[in-house]
Parts: sequence; structure tokens; C-alpha cells
Amino acid sequence: MSAPTTDAGTTDTAAEEGPRTARLAVLRGELGLIVTPVVLGLAFLAYWTWLGAQDLSMQATSALTTDNLVRQTREQLTITALSTVGVLIIAIPLGIGLTRPRGQRFAGPALAIANAGQAVPAYGLLVLALAVLGGVFGRANDNFLQNTLGEWLGPGLVITVISLILFAILPVLRNTMVGLQQVDQDIIEAGLGMGMTRREVLWRIEMPLAVPVMLAGVRTALVINVGMATLAFLIGGGGLGVTIRSGIQLSQNIVVLTGGVLTALLALSIDWLGGVVERVLRPKGI
Amino acid sequence: MDGVRSLVEFIGGNTSGIVERTTEHLVIVLGVMLAATLFSVFLGIAVQHRPFAKQLSLGTAGVMLTIPSLALFAIFIPLVGIGNRPAQIALFLYAILPILRNTVTGLDAVDPAIVEAAQGMGMGQVQQLFRVRIPLAWPVIIAGIRVSTQLITGVAAIAVLVGGGGLGSYIQRGLTSLGNPFSIERVWTGTIFIIVLALVLDVVLGFVGKRTTSPGIR
Repeated sequence: MSAPTTDAGTTDTAAEEGPRTARLAVLRGELGLIVTPVVLGLAFLAYWTWLGAQDLSMQATSALTTDNLVRQTREQLTITALSTVGVLIIAIPLGIGLTRPRGQRFAGPALAIANAGQAVPAYGLLVLALAVLGGVFGRANDNFLQNTLGEWLGPGLVITVISLILFAILPVLRNTMVGLQQVDQDIIEAGLGMGMTRREVLWRIEMPLAVPVMLAGVRTALVINVGMATLAFLIGGGGLGVTIRSGIQLSQNIVVLTGGVLTALLALSIDWLGGVVERVLRPKGI
Repeated sequence: MDGVRSLVEFIGGNTSGIVERTTEHLVIVLGVMLAATLFSVFLGIAVQHRPFAKQLSLGTAGVMLTIPSLALFAIFIPLVGIGNRPAQIALFLYAILPILRNTVTGLDAVDPAIVEAAQGMGMGQVQQLFRVRIPLAWPVIIAGIRVSTQLITGVAAIAVLVGGGGLGSYIQRGLTSLGNPFSIERVWTGTIFIIVLALVLDVVLGFVGKRTTSPGIR
């Protein structure tokens, strides 16, 4: 878990920014999207070169093979991608449903539960998921989970993805609901007055207007997921956490550092990617 | 219900250990929060009227939150060794953004006319800051401190992975003994007490926030 509350403070405490600061922020955002990958790439090259120049011990060399690092990076990316897709599939329809007239009375309780879930430590959730779902996997001899998904991805990975989905639903759910609720009632009235059906109003007015807020939630979920994926090694899910742990166990600082730096660079790249998606998908005119 | 009964039994039989671990956890969180609050509030005051420094510090603090917790812990191990130290440094870096952002927005929201009135009454810069601007921004700053505290209390659970202490120890012991008696109970104990600690700290901070907010804006 790294950033469950990145956006939590802004919604209720954001104040009016001066025009100059606002322009600076926009400029920083635009520039950031171009400069970030260059900086990250240079940082990676610099670290890799520095690492190559180090006199590595036998233990460090065997832990830091390119094969290992590439495989762990791929595992981490798979976990992040699968759980983010899972979160989107669950949280966005749920968020839409909870803001419809029929679902509105469940909105308060749902948000309260989701908020309380935020206080759950990621480590505890992962191990509990392993204990509970591991039992399910163990008992089932011939089910879809074990044979198809389990063989394809490994049971540790499936359990990791399930617990990550649980963990990262909150920001997407909340931002979907907030995004839809903040749409001006007058605009909806205008749409209905023009003869649009409820469904048309949702797809052609409410959703496009809610997209910027929803995307911010998706980006937060991405960051949470890539962070949690670092802990997947705890329950046999792989990822770059494996390198960090073996470094700690072998007392090889350089292995620990390499795991940490690669994970950090990966997370920052994913956040950058989220920023690009946010910029590309944001409707023009808002 | 058997599960609940054995959990209660486990907690009942281990109260002294739980108190000890909770205290460890609390000490980590309080130390980090104290340092992060002082640092972030001063930084917020310093950068509020400097747009470039403001964007730079907010951006940097945001980057910190993007880095996965275990990775950030790991990066500090070569510098300070294993134990609580790398965890505390990383948690400190995490705690900055919510407090810094709220300090800046809180100070920005202070009505310039009020500051001018204070100036007109003959207050100097320092007096304006401590007697007018900070008291007016305080509810927003406290909200940031609460967000950070919740975050830090949860993340501190993994301090145990880099050789530190705290309630994460129960989760780790449970994980390494899965399948043996009382393993799940250990995991639940660690998880539940972390949540309880986070909620208690939130309530306490809410109370402190109310009591320390100037009566005029309460």
C-alpha cells in the first residue's frame, strides 16, 4: 500500500488557487508528462551503469540476474494490470448504480464501508486473503479457479489480484460517485427537457462531465496496485518484492537497493502512464 | 463463531504482548507524525507565497507517495541499516504531502482583508502568522494531519519486513506459521489492532483539533 489517500484531502479542502498558480500547475502538468519519462529513463540508465561498475559478491550476482529482474517486473506488471482492470469492471458500474435514483439510498452506507476499508493495513489484508482463499484453493480439486486460472497465473497471483481489487476499489468508487454527483442538476434538466431519455442523459451528459474526476480515481488505483504488488511476494505472487526480500535476508545492501530503485522507477512510470491516459481521455471543453 | 471464540481466547491470553506491540506501533507513528507535522507546516509557510517553490515541494512530496512503501523502506536500508530507522524515514516522507498541501490551501484561504486588518493593528509578520494566519488555517491543517496519521498507521504494519517492530509482527508471525494453531488469530490480531489504533488516533486528533481551534471559527 502506498497512496490510499492521495486524493482524499483535495476534495474537501481544496481552496481557490490564484490564476498564476493555476497556470503554473497546468504548465507543470504538461511539461511533466514530457519530462518525466526522460528523467526516469536517465535515472534507470544511471543506476544500471553504476550497478555494472560495482564489484558484486557471488550472492548479489546470483540474485540480480537480468532474467530474474525481468521476470519479476513482468509479474508485477501483470498483477497491476489485472487488478486495475478488475477494479474498473466492479467499481465504475457500482458507482453509477449507487448514484441512480433507485440506488441512492445505499450510497451513504457504501461509501462509509469503503472509507472504513481504507484503514485496513495492506499486509494484513494480503495474509488474510491467503488464509481464506488458500483454503478455498486447497479444497477445490477440480474447479475453474484452480485448474484454469491457477495454472495459468499461479494461485499466489490470483489471490494477490483478488485482494488488490478489494483494496483499490475505494478511490475509483468514490471518484465515480463524486464525479457523477457534482454534475450540475440544471444541465441534466436541460438534457431531459430536450427529450433525452435517462440513459442518454447518463451516457451523453453525466459520464463525459464526470470523466476527469473518475480518471483521477483510476490513477490513484493504479498507484495503489503497483505498490501493493510489491508485497505480493509475501503470499507467493512474485514481483520485485522478491529481490528486496532476498537482499534483506542475505544482508546484501546492493540487492535491496536494486529492488527498491527498480520498484520505485516502475511505480513512477506507471503513474506517468496514468497521467498520459488521464490527459488523452479527458473530454475537450472541460 | 469458533473462529471468533479462538480469536478472543488468543487476544485474552496475549494482552501484555499486544500492549507492547501496540506501544511500539504508536511510538513509531507518533514520532514520525510529530516530525512530519513540524517539517510540513514550516515548509508550507515558507513556500506559500513562492509559486515555483510551492509546486516543486508539492510535486516532490507527491512523488514520495507514488513510490511503493516497501521500495522506499528498502532504499534507506543501505544508508541506515535494518530496523525501525528505514521505516521511520520512509513514513516521514509519506506523511508530508497531506499536511503540506493542507497547510498551503489553509493559508491561501485566509481572507487577505483580515491579514491587512492585523497589519493595521500594528502586528508584525511573525505575529500575523502565529496569531492570525495559522489559527485561521488550523482546521484545514489538522485535517491533513489526520489523513497522514491514518496512512502512516497502516503502512507502519510492514516495518516488520525491514526488521522493525510494531503490530505488523503479529501478521508476520501468523503468515510464517500458517496452518498451525493460532496462526490466523495472530493475523487478525495484528490487523484489527492496527485498524483500532488508526481509528482511536483519528478520534483523538479530531478532539484535539476541536479544542485547539480558535472559538471564533469553531
